[in-house]
Amino acid sequence: MTVSLAVPDVLVARAQAGDEAALEALYRAFETPVYNLARRMLRRPEDAEDVLQETFLEVVRNIKQYRGEGHLWGWVRRIASTKALMRIRREQVRATESLDDEPGGPAMHVGANLDLERAFEVLSETSRAVVWLHDVEGYTHEEIAEQMGRSVSFSKSQLARAHARLRRMLNEDVGGATP
Amino acid sequence: MHCTMEDLGALRAGEGSVWARRHIITCAICQAELEALYQRVAQLKALPTLRPPRDRWPAVRAVMTAERARRRRSRSAWGGTLAAAALLAGVLLVQPSIVGESGNLHAELTQAKQQSATLEDSLQHYDVDGRVLTGHCAAVVAELEDRISDIDGTLATLTQRNVGEQDAELVKLWQQRVGLMRALVTARATRARYVGL
Repeated sequence: MTVSLAVPDVLVARAQAGDEAALEALYRAFETPVYNLARRMLRRPEDAEDVLQETFLEVVRNIKQYRGEGHLWGWVRRIASTKALMRIRREQVRATESLDDEPGGPAMHVGANLDLERAFEVLSETSRAVVWLHDVEGYTHEEIAEQMGRSVSFSKSQLARAHARLRRMLNEDVGGATP
Repeated sequence: MHCTMEDLGALRAGEGSVWARRHIITCAICQAELEALYQRVAQLKALPTLRPPRDRWPAVRAVMTAERARRRRSRSAWGGTLAAAALLAGVLLVQPSIVGESGNLHAELTQAKQQSATLEDSLQHYDVDGRVLTGHCAAVVAELEDRISDIDGTLATLTQRNVGEQDAELVKLWQQRVGLMRALVTARATRARYVGL
């Protein structure tokens, strides 16, 4: 998702002073990109909603610590992605989900012609998170590894496996090769 | 032998191995795979934006309000405690007979304060910052905390006056505080059980 969310400095200053209207304006400015990010990473919509709420609670609590380095969206996005990854980790601990397995969910037939959005939904949350953060949000493997508490090679291999799986699900015919 | 998906990903990032960089120049199949990878990423970026189905701002605002009230209450309670301690020390030094004359009221007051302290301890067990509350639950908690904060303010004011004339009112206020604290602990405990934390 390409986001161009310019927030006036005066609005940030008012929010840092605790102005509730300014804090709500920040929420309105970022609620959709935060939810979209979380929803693309997480399977359940209600989890994405919780991440949205948790993210803004943290924004409200810590907005005074934002010093204006970089775009405010970058700061908010980092909080949101961290919250979503924490939720994935917690879910993995609960369900002892294998990092490579696709859990139950929408019926998936390898080789069927699925559209990309459906195929993406079928991926495990870990794979979705890596693909979305790397390919769409533009995070580096180093940044993803740091946020996930894993190695750079883990991030790279997750991305490669996810794309190989997407390719199979989309039944792409690009000349007979199957990397 | 063709490029693996990891090779293609590395090529896309400009980090391909020497072998992969040489191979991709001459292999039409791998060139097509790399192009498909670029296409897939472009399609991912073009997926529609998903919007939140419900407005979560009321819940965020309710938690924010509750936290601000709690901070105010903490400051107020701390100030009240200091004032009460100073006043009690003064009374004991100057008018020791007052304590003896209102023994029953003091006993009730002591009991209410002890119950209040016990409930404060219980609240610490449930009152974890960052826990997600529903909008309704957060509103109830905020309301209770506001009312407790009001009572703390009144208690702080009363303890600066003559204790002998205010004992009955102090007991009543402390007992009200205990009732509100019980409701607050119940609200927190119910939510904690509900979310399994």
